[in-house]
Amino acid sequence: MLPDDAVDRIAEGCREIGKLCKNHGIQQWEVVASQSYGHSIDIEAGKISLAAGGGEGGYGIRVVEDGRFGYAYLVDLASADYAIQQARDIAKVSPSVAGFTLPSEQEAEQVHGLFDKTILDIGPEDLLEQADSILSEVASLDERAVVTGGGLGVGASAGAILSSEGIESSGVTTSHGIGVQVSIEADDELTSSYEGESSRQRLQHVPDCVSVAVDWAQKTRGPIEVNTEAHDTPVLMTSKGFSPLFSMVVPSAIRGDRLVRNESFWSGKQGEIVLANDLTLIDDGRLEGGKSASARDGEGVPTRRQTLVDQGRLVGSLWSTRDAAQQVAEGRIEHAQTNGCAVRGGHQSPPSTGCSDLQMTSSLKSSSQDALLERMGEGYIVHSVMGAHTANPTSGDFSVTTSTLLRVEDGEIIGPVKQAGLSGNLAKALSNDVHLGDEVRVQGSYSSGNMHLPDVLLMQGLRINPV
Amino acid sequence: MVMSASPTDEHRPSTGRYLNQSKIQAALDHAQDLGAAYAEVRLMAITDSSVTLRDAKLERAIPGQEVGVTLRVLADGAWGVHSTTDLVSLPSQIESTVRLAKAVAARRSSKDRPVQLAEVPVIEDEIHWKSKLDVRNTDLQTKIGHLKTLHDSAADDDRIISVTCGWSDEHLHTELMTSEGMNRAWSFQRSLINASVTGRDGSEVVSYRTRHGGEGGLEVIEDCDLGALGDSARIATLRLLKAERAPSGKLPLIADRDLTGVYIHEALGHPCEADLVAAGDSCLDGKLGQTIGNEIVTVIDDPTIRSGYGAHPIDDEGLDTRKKTLIKNGVLTEYLNHRESAHHFGITPNAGARAQDGLHHPLVRMSNTLIQGGTHNDIDELMEDIQYGVYACGSRGGQVDTGRGSFQFAAQEAWLIENGELTRPLKDVSVSGLTLQILKDVDGLTRDSRLAAPGFCGKGQTVPVGDGGPIMRISQALVG
Repeated sequence: MLPDDAVDRIAEGCREIGKLCKNHGIQQWEVVASQSYGHSIDIEAGKISLAAGGGEGGYGIRVVEDGRFGYAYLVDLASADYAIQQARDIAKVSPSVAGFTLPSEQEAEQVHGLFDKTILDIGPEDLLEQADSILSEVASLDERAVVTGGGLGVGASAGAILSSEGIESSGVTTSHGIGVQVSIEADDELTSSYEGESSRQRLQHVPDCVSVAVDWAQKTRGPIEVNTEAHDTPVLMTSKGFSPLFSMVVPSAIRGDRLVRNESFWSGKQGEIVLANDLTLIDDGRLEGGKSASARDGEGVPTRRQTLVDQGRLVGSLWSTRDAAQQVAEGRIEHAQTNGCAVRGGHQSPPSTGCSDLQMTSSLKSSSQDALLERMGEGYIVHSVMGAHTANPTSGDFSVTTSTLLRVEDGEIIGPVKQAGLSGNLAKALSNDVHLGDEVRVQGSYSSGNMHLPDVLLMQGLRINPV
Repeated sequence: MVMSASPTDEHRPSTGRYLNQSKIQAALDHAQDLGAAYAEVRLMAITDSSVTLRDAKLERAIPGQEVGVTLRVLADGAWGVHSTTDLVSLPSQIESTVRLAKAVAARRSSKDRPVQLAEVPVIEDEIHWKSKLDVRNTDLQTKIGHLKTLHDSAADDDRIISVTCGWSDEHLHTELMTSEGMNRAWSFQRSLINASVTGRDGSEVVSYRTRHGGEGGLEVIEDCDLGALGDSARIATLRLLKAERAPSGKLPLIADRDLTGVYIHEALGHPCEADLVAAGDSCLDGKLGQTIGNEIVTVIDDPTIRSGYGAHPIDDEGLDTRKKTLIKNGVLTEYLNHRESAHHFGITPNAGARAQDGLHHPLVRMSNTLIQGGTHNDIDELMEDIQYGVYACGSRGGQVDTGRGSFQFAAQEAWLIENGELTRPLKDVSVSGLTLQILKDVDGLTRDSRLAAPGFCGKGQTVPVGDGGPIMRISQALVG
């Protein structure tokens, strides 16, 4: 899948661009390169609909002169000279940020589990066989169930960074992902569930998400009648249901620049209790096998594991080099410096600040789902929401819709509900009486990074409005 | 290696094309020799630029160039696809891509239909939509100047603590060659400006977004009163600081044209996409010709509306774009389709294929989607007999479950309607419902229908779209 010399060639490309930057007499420069290859299979209407493969890549150039920065990207080394000139022209009209310089070289330790050689050996035929197995598994679990959408894919990505400050690093990561939308249409009723799983390592031939999708498509059938008055209620959000809302709201609230600019609902609360006092929030840029983890961040600074909220108390924040220098220069904070939290959306964007692998844990003993339901007594389980991207990251307010929810009474699931609105303020809901389940799952994110979350029982602050 | 050939190097012939036409033609012929029923090569070269101003200071400016090319092969009734940024390597991928398609086909069961394509005219030409002011010639200082105008009006109050303004423009050049002899090239531009305004009053923090854009170059931005756009964003932000949480329940709802656009995009547009219908993932399956909405509801999707952010001259399968009428007086009249889904349903292709860029294959997508105007003169007429309801404005986005036909969309701000009048401002209003119910509950539309703010639509791939309509009344909607 990945040519043997992929890393060498993009590293060499970085060096060529670096030489050109030197020839231009640029004070500080940084070149990043990425190049990815992969295979994928699409599934539609219960069958494999398409097989695809390919690769893409390019270079990004950041120049810094007198605290001013400019950026440009390209796909063809032949246009590097032009891109450097573009970046330099932009730097000339950018505001100078006192104290902003590119990070200098620091030793970075490797993070394990980001590369699985066996993934490189997975070819299109292997993926097709895996897709066959998934389709067969779904049919064997419920003959009415159909995989109406989704697919699977493998990829390998080579990356490199080179800077005038001595940073020179390169490496390869791998990924393997599967997602299935399972629908059951029978007796004039359609239910469905989307589940996915991805990893830096090779996944099981038929991963657990397949049976989970069938299970939720089954157990949301036959909706019961419930009180349709909107009311405040405890809600047990599964990891999958909770993660989109959490990722839309929390990662931006803990960005250092947003905190000091009063753009976060936690602004001005450094050192204060902001979450339930048993909850801890950790961003682990060095998590073994972490989907966003790496030895260095998006600008080459060594990553770290850092506690952001400790036992409910806000104790940290995320910073990249320029954001830190700018907020200090503008007098919003006395001291700030990068803590290895620069993220990039590929070679097409300069670094910004964001989280990596974000984890929420509790100092209290985690609970099984049965124990959480017993604690809840009366309420709902919500497994997925529509419209999480419409949540307001500035205030934490959200108002979403769910068609994957179960009614709970006396600690027992009594049946599914067809549809409901769910609203509240996530910051407030997480501030008290929160209980975590015992199985952490990794979920994607609306922001940077990945979310490592268990099921979360929110006893207060949420309102449900069943159809 | 995936680094592309640039339009200035030896791989670009003197024809003005990125693709070396004789080599690509030979590659397509080779695909047919290997058993492909159809093969195409589609290239997209994008020259783009984005600029961000944070509190009137330049935060970042990013110029860029991308070239991507996708080879799509139909063999034995199944698709194989190869996408790359390396133009030169493409011919060497023909054999493996044909093999891929055949491997997919070999897995098809006897009950599954092979993929076939509806016939379309074979055209060889170039169509270039010229902008009045080519955005590639717009310098950074000009862009910053416009962003500052927007910023200054949006930030003009002590309670506004932050304003981030953004600019985005792109020049898109596409080339398509097919084994059927289609050989087309087309180009056009898009430009967009936006602002995100954050207000704070004590512990209350709110934000509001506004944007303006469309197909075209610098003229798209210069035709907009940016001062007024910023003013309205500031006023809305300050209003949100005083707004109350919305009531929950089934209520009469009036939606402004922004929200009407998002509503029709989510509730009707997506379920109308024929690839989803064919996949059994649409609540509109089997409903062509049936009445699914109130007779006052007529919905079009029209990529030829040049002002729209979703405008484009040719779809990504090489068909001239045209207006589609999805609902006529409440009756479902047309699905959006591409060649594969058109053949599946035995209907005429209507040029609904779009790909995000040169590295993605085309899917059925919307363009500029609108509800046509009705008979009410203004919002006052729509409100006059509502005792207790909600008027919701501006979109924060939406989502749909096309199979179940349930959808959700969120408003940026809202007002309570009491006894036919707007009273208190509200925040965090979202609306949800079922497509097949709520289209029947539309019971009032103002006369004037037009596109609202530009948007982006995600379906695995992201494409720019325009949505809009008149001001719309829904007799009963689930408001949360």
